[in-house]
Amino acid sequence: MSSRTDVPAPGRPARAARRPGGRRGRSEALTGYAMVAPVMIMIALLALLPVGITVAQSLFRVDPLIGPDKFTGLANYTAILHTPNLQTAFRNTLLYTVFGVVLSMMLGLVFAVALQRKVRASGLLLALAMLPWALPGVVGGVIWSWIYDPNFGVLNSFLKSVHLIGHYHIWVSTHAVQEIFVITLVQVWQFTPLATVVILASLQAIPNELYEAADIDGASALRKIRRITLPLARPGITVALIESIITATTIFDPVYVLNQNALSGESLVSAVYYITFQDLNFGQGYAFSVVLTIGIIALSAAAAAVTYRKVEF
Amino acid sequence: MRRGSAWIRWIVIGVLLVWSLFPIYWAVNTSFLTNGAAQSAPAHWLPVPGTLSNYTQALGAGPVSSQVVRSLVNSTVEAVGTTAATVVIATLGGYAFARLKFRFRRVLFYTVLATLALPGLATLIALYKMASYAHLDNTYLGIILVYTSGAIPLGMWIMHNAFNAIPVTLEEAAWIDGAGRFRTFRTIALPLARTGVAAAGIITFLFSWSQFTFPLVLSNGITTEPVTVLLPALVATRQVAFTLENSVAVLAILIPVALVLVLNRWIVSGLLAGGVK
Repeated sequence: MSSRTDVPAPGRPARAARRPGGRRGRSEALTGYAMVAPVMIMIALLALLPVGITVAQSLFRVDPLIGPDKFTGLANYTAILHTPNLQTAFRNTLLYTVFGVVLSMMLGLVFAVALQRKVRASGLLLALAMLPWALPGVVGGVIWSWIYDPNFGVLNSFLKSVHLIGHYHIWVSTHAVQEIFVITLVQVWQFTPLATVVILASLQAIPNELYEAADIDGASALRKIRRITLPLARPGITVALIESIITATTIFDPVYVLNQNALSGESLVSAVYYITFQDLNFGQGYAFSVVLTIGIIALSAAAAAVTYRKVEF
Repeated sequence: MRRGSAWIRWIVIGVLLVWSLFPIYWAVNTSFLTNGAAQSAPAHWLPVPGTLSNYTQALGAGPVSSQVVRSLVNSTVEAVGTTAATVVIATLGGYAFARLKFRFRRVLFYTVLATLALPGLATLIALYKMASYAHLDNTYLGIILVYTSGAIPLGMWIMHNAFNAIPVTLEEAAWIDGAGRFRTFRTIALPLARTGVAAAGIITFLFSWSQFTFPLVLSNGITTEPVTVLLPALVATRQVAFTLENSVAVLAILIPVALVLVLNRWIVSGLLAGGVK
């Protein structure tokens, strides 16, 4: 599950003009510091400090027991290139990202357009559609792993009963692009509701008069979607796109569950996990984390720059 | 809109519902089947003949029942603890950032929000090291602290927006009457921001309940292991029948599903606080 949002608009400053420096102003500032202190302590200790440790120790050889014991410069970074299975993990992550982003954005758009007009029981429909998003990623992975089960899974049994396949297939751990696709589907299943809701919010901000005017001009439904809905939904689409990129590039839970310890479906994040917590190569794990974090942030920023336009009604 | 497109709309909504709900239905269905029925072809689309034995084994008399029960307790303790801590901390901070004037306010505010852009990977290994160093690994406290630090930025952003949505005039009147800033927050602003508190609380609870990678490295035994860590381990080691595994999966999603069905209004409003401008 993702809990990230886009970079926000500036916080609106407190409106009331107050005399700075007076007794009032000083006590207000003190109250302010006291109230933000818990947030700042938590963020400083448990977000900023670990990031600092990650960057600093990525430059050391880190002994699993003693800790960082020898400065090695960029050696951990160059060692990433020799990670076993790196090519597969990279190729897989690329495929996870392309499949994941394209599918969840397409589905999110289609579903949002379908839900755009208020119908009876809209709230209930949305709640039911939201369900997969609220479930833990690993449980989603486990649920789908039985659906994909080669012997008893409902996917095989259903496809065979409607004669789409002649014999049962093995869906996962096959060293094929199809494996990446079926693992991606689990994450798409869980992420699409969020994309739908975020895009839907943008759609509901579009004034109805635009559609009414288009109706008077005799525009077709498809044309209204192309000329009104899509351009004006850009803010929501941008947010959903960034979140889908972050979610897809950091895919781990469904891979861990569906692929078990097979290397065929390994993603870059699972590579970091195995380097760090199985090979106990902490220095290299840190370096790999730094590279991936920078890559993911750069990719999302680029996507935002390409997609985002300010929309005025 | 014309009749043709209304038809298409309902077909799409139908597809959406089947796609979203079928996998969940299938886990529930399988959890009420005997192992033999679950493995027979063609598939049993309804739990007939049904059995409760997977649940009695998961929760009562089965070989893994003590682990299952404990992991559900762990998940609950960790999610409730995180939710309580996050809501208190985020509400205080959100109010101060939205309403009070103090130096460095903007810098601090954006520093907190910037951490939203960090993938968990950026802190995972270091937090694991820090937790073992402080002997907080494999403890509820350590896990709750780590989850809370992850949940605070979004929680604070939701609360900041909730307070900003309240007209400031009520508070100004109280200030002029001589009420202190904190008292004004407690007696006037906080009651008006209840829906924000609800949204932040529910989203934090779901976030904590879903955690996997962090508890995977932070807990190393059933004393703190949440159900999200236990379930894949059961599946991987093939300790129990897969109908029993399904019942554990259903138990693991029971609370999130109930929350979404009952409280989805606040979830959606909270998610959209993420600012679709």
